[in-house]
Amino acid sequence: MASDERIRDIGLIRRSISRPELGSVFGLIIIVITFMTLTSISGTFGAMWLNPIGIQAWVELAAFVGILAIGASLLMIAGEFDLSMGANIALAGHSFAIFVLFGVPIELAIILTFIELAFLGFIIGVIVVRTGLPSFIVTLAFWFASRGFAVFLSQTFFNQSRLSVKANLKPPPGGGEDPTLIDNIFAFDKAFGVPFDAEVYYFIILVFIVAFITNRTPYGNWIYASGGDPVAARAVGVPVARVKISLFMISTSLACLLGILTVMTSGASDPKAGDFRELHAIAAAVIGGCALTGGYGSVVGAVLGALIFAIASRGINFVPFIDNNLFRVMLGMLILGSALLNQFLRDRIVKG
Amino acid sequence: MIPSIEFRGVSKFFGNIIALKDISFKVFKGEITALLGDNGAGKSTLIKLLSGVHIPSEGEILLSGEPVNFKSPRQAVSAGIGTVYQDLALQPLMSVTRNFFLGREITKGLFLNMPLMNTITKKEMAKLGIDVADPTQPIGTMSGGQRQTLAIARAIYFGANVLILDEPTSALGQKQQLEVLRTIKKVKELGDIAIIFITHNDMHAKLLGDRFAFLNRGKVLAEGSRDEIDMNNLRPLMAGGAELEKLETEFSGR
Ligand SMILES: Nc1ncnc2c1ncn2[C@@H]1O[C@H](COP(=O)(O)OP(=O)(O)OP(=O)(O)O)[C@@H](O)[C@H]1O
Ligand SMILES: [Mg+2]
Repeated sequence: MASDERIRDIGLIRRSISRPELGSVFGLIIIVITFMTLTSISGTFGAMWLNPIGIQAWVELAAFVGILAIGASLLMIAGEFDLSMGANIALAGHSFAIFVLFGVPIELAIILTFIELAFLGFIIGVIVVRTGLPSFIVTLAFWFASRGFAVFLSQTFFNQSRLSVKANLKPPPGGGEDPTLIDNIFAFDKAFGVPFDAEVYYFIILVFIVAFITNRTPYGNWIYASGGDPVAARAVGVPVARVKISLFMISTSLACLLGILTVMTSGASDPKAGDFRELHAIAAAVIGGCALTGGYGSVVGAVLGALIFAIASRGINFVPFIDNNLFRVMLGMLILGSALLNQFLRDRIVKG
Repeated sequence: MIPSIEFRGVSKFFGNIIALKDISFKVFKGEITALLGDNGAGKSTLIKLLSGVHIPSEGEILLSGEPVNFKSPRQAVSAGIGTVYQDLALQPLMSVTRNFFLGREITKGLFLNMPLMNTITKKEMAKLGIDVADPTQPIGTMSGGQRQTLAIARAIYFGANVLILDEPTSALGQKQQLEVLRTIKKVKELGDIAIIFITHNDMHAKLLGDRFAFLNRGKVLAEGSRDEIDMNNLRPLMAGGAELEKLETEFSGR
């Protein structure tokens, strides 16, 4: 068929196709080199990059923000937004703690909390899909409502806003003798004496699973199409509404995971848990190449974005000669710079 | 021969607006039916009835002689009606293959069978005269004409035996218009597909049309095969026949 004179080649155009995470790969290299240089100058290179406690500091933060960023990036690719993620961490933590304090077995309390948060995601999704309100607005409402409801419940039942479940967890956090099955699942650090908090391992596993789903399954295709051009997607039979609802459920479930992990490892649920984390997760997704307009981005990029965020965020503590407040300035510039770079890369793909 | 599609006295009302009134016409397989008419004549409404977006207010639509009653675009698609909308319903940032199979992906277990889908995409595009060297390229890199071809190839591959093209050349430059006309001719040569070709361009209609239907203000002004229609009279018919004559007398009376 190649002999047909009417066959034309479209392969020559834009061989140099860019992946969405290209920008964040550069970003990560730059941020690592920057902080390696800065810590060398201040003589803290070893403390940040070689010392287990130093490494823990930024790896655990990257995992925490990264887990949320997985949800944030999936939603952004589908053209949606979840501002309530951080608040839902507190809601999950409090719900779990309240169940436990009411004497519900821990296994059951975990299941109930996941059901509750998944249901919340379902409600958010249905509101967004049915009303056509921007998810920014809908989840802004839940940004207030989730944390407010959590604290209201704990005030009502226990007359305090911070709930300790130390006495109910067996063995207590930090105890270490005879870990239960639940410890094995939700607090490996206790169970196996491994150096990192459990979220680090969840993070690694989730990244692989979600990256695979987004790139290699029909569902992944539909996520991109739902954000790219929802009308067109529907016209070819993509269940756009269901895809979006499911993503809100994933987002609230990830917040739930973090909420429960935090309580399991610290022994208490704090009403301020997860405060502002939704913005950090969205920052990570933006740095990682997700377009706010939907249809473009990658989970791997968001994960690299979380790593960039965490290294910059924790690294600044190892560089005493730079004011801590300057960190926010730097982070702001970093987000702006990444967004510009990503937009440039994206335009190259379409305009050819 | 039984027509692939037959409209019998079909009307469509939107509230008090009469978009289509008592429409009757036939479409045959292996033929290109050019559907012509001025802006607002009801062309898009007519194909929306056919593709399941709207439901007729009166009359019936017959598919190979059988009355059909589509309640959703999905039903129309599974009955073999492929519509290529003016905006094509493509995802510019997704790859050629992913666009081709969007919503109807081939899987191997849980996962996408990318090699197979890439091969099929290349093959189906080649049938219509476009060699896609790299089907993993985002579709945003293709020309308008090539995208149009992709949308057509996709409709055919997924079993369309009636292919509706809503102004496929209107948004394109001269060269790409010709490319699309060539593609449409190739589809016709496949032999078993009925093509409804909506256009404002009488040249294009003349080049490709086997049958013609002229819509004006919601009614069929004229309908027939190449032999039955005065080919030199396309332009006035498209603009609404009698009205144009009236205008001519008005102008000449100056
Ligand atoms: N959903 C609707 N509600 C009300 N009126 C409608 C609707 N859809 C179409 N119409 C009316 O029906 C008439 C025919 O419109 P239609 O879009 O079918 O025209 P067309 O022939 O496709 O025109 P064009 O060449 O501009 O695409 C117009 O007067 C239009 O305003
Ligand atoms: Mg139209």
